[in-house]
Amino acid sequence: MLVSKSKVTNSVLKSEKKSLFRFLSLYLGIVTIIISLLSFYYYKTQEEIMLSNQRANLEQYAYREIKRLKELHNSFDNKHNIYPRDKHFKSAIYDLEYVKIFSDMEEDIDIIFKEGIYQNGSYIYLVKMLTTYYLGAKYLIVEVKDDTLWKTNVVRNISIYGILFFIISAILGVFLANMFVKPMRNSILLLDRFIKDTTHELNTPLSAILANIEMIDTSSMDKKNISKINRINIATKTVSILYKDLTYLTLEQDRDRLDENIDLKSLIEDRVEYFMAIMESKNISCKLYLNESSLYIDKKKITRVIDNLISNAIKYNLRNGVIEIELKDKRLSVKDSGIGIKEEEIPFIFDRYLRFNDSEGGFGVGLSIVKSILDEYNIKIDVISSEQKGTTMVLLW
Amino acid sequence: MVKKVLVISLVISHLFATDIYEKNCMKCHRDLPVSLKEIFMDYLLVYGGDKNMKAGIKHYLKYPSKDISMMSKLFIMNYGIKEKTELLDSELDRALDIYWDKFKIMGKLK
Repeated sequence: MLVSKSKVTNSVLKSEKKSLFRFLSLYLGIVTIIISLLSFYYYKTQEEIMLSNQRANLEQYAYREIKRLKELHNSFDNKHNIYPRDKHFKSAIYDLEYVKIFSDMEEDIDIIFKEGIYQNGSYIYLVKMLTTYYLGAKYLIVEVKDDTLWKTNVVRNISIYGILFFIISAILGVFLANMFVKPMRNSILLLDRFIKDTTHELNTPLSAILANIEMIDTSSMDKKNISKINRINIATKTVSILYKDLTYLTLEQDRDRLDENIDLKSLIEDRVEYFMAIMESKNISCKLYLNESSLYIDKKKITRVIDNLISNAIKYNLRNGVIEIELKDKRLSVKDSGIGIKEEEIPFIFDRYLRFNDSEGGFGVGLSIVKSILDEYNIKIDVISSEQKGTTMVLLW
Repeated sequence: MVKKVLVISLVISHLFATDIYEKNCMKCHRDLPVSLKEIFMDYLLVYGGDKNMKAGIKHYLKYPSKDISMMSKLFIMNYGIKEKTELLDSELDRALDIYWDKFKIMGKLK
């Protein structure tokens, strides 16, 4: 099913972007590792090809040098002994105890005394073991300079093909990620659409119920009926909070903000009064430690923040629990004595539609709204929680 | 004073050491058609390094045998093989050190 993306569902796709980013990071990480391994294998293969090409030449040089050593050995005297040099290569001879007999190489290097060819820096070495020790030499080392042309070619090929492969893989990755995420995206868009349509239909009946409950004269009613009216009041307020959250999400969050100086103390007192009936239903006591404090913010938005914090503190509190609200300078904290949040779940509590506790109702949008509003006004929120002890939400600005 | 004593003792010990080689090796080899240098080069071809070669010569000097001699059959036919050495191990070592230093390749190539 195809669902079109509307303006109000833009924020829904934040989590989708996160998933896409994670998938692509992992995918491109693996691609990079594969490219690195292939490049390393290619480099080593090319190095071996170069060495095997050089080997024939160096063997010929070694053969020539051994012949000269033999001649020198037979004509050796104590005065005029010129070591056989060649313009094509440098060489050195070592005895079987690895003691240097003579070397015409420019630098002293660490020789690997194992027959074969190897590269060290920009030089290629052939180690030849002599069966007859002319001049006492068991090891003949032949050195030639590597022109590094092969290396330049290899690096160029790795760069060109590596980058090309990476780009193609990245394009393929984006295509695959979109393909995998599409069903999830459609579901989220459908849910958003449904919520938007439903909220439109809820407004009128909800307002009517709340207004009529306020108007009922309970003085002439018996206790049983007062209790019933109270329960209706609580239920309606719960639905009303949910309605306001959903309306905020679907209709209000993109409207222009109307910032003004808000007296936080009186606003909090007002909202606590609003929730009082719900608190009483769970026998929760509320302690307020409020100093005078004001904040330049949109009233509807800060109301959503406070409502959600208080609503959560009630929802996840225990019966006979306590809620403490403290407002001091530029700090507001809402503390409950409820079930708490697992440490590993704290980083995810602001994710939309994410609920860790199914025993309570809701869509899991409350804290997502809180976070988006706080982020909009650069207000920091800290969550301090321990399981079965309670949670404290601290706002700092 | 201390320096003088040290120098004199070094010279004496050197002369004494040279004496071992001259007295015990050169005495016989001087009259042979194959020089000690040629023998050295032959040993070098087979034994290579310092310690290996000294060990090889020392063994031969202590246990001379036709089978392990470096000399040609013709030489052995004419001159035979040498008699077993009567020198002590330490004396043999000193004589061999002098022999090695005298003919070794290291430092003689240009």
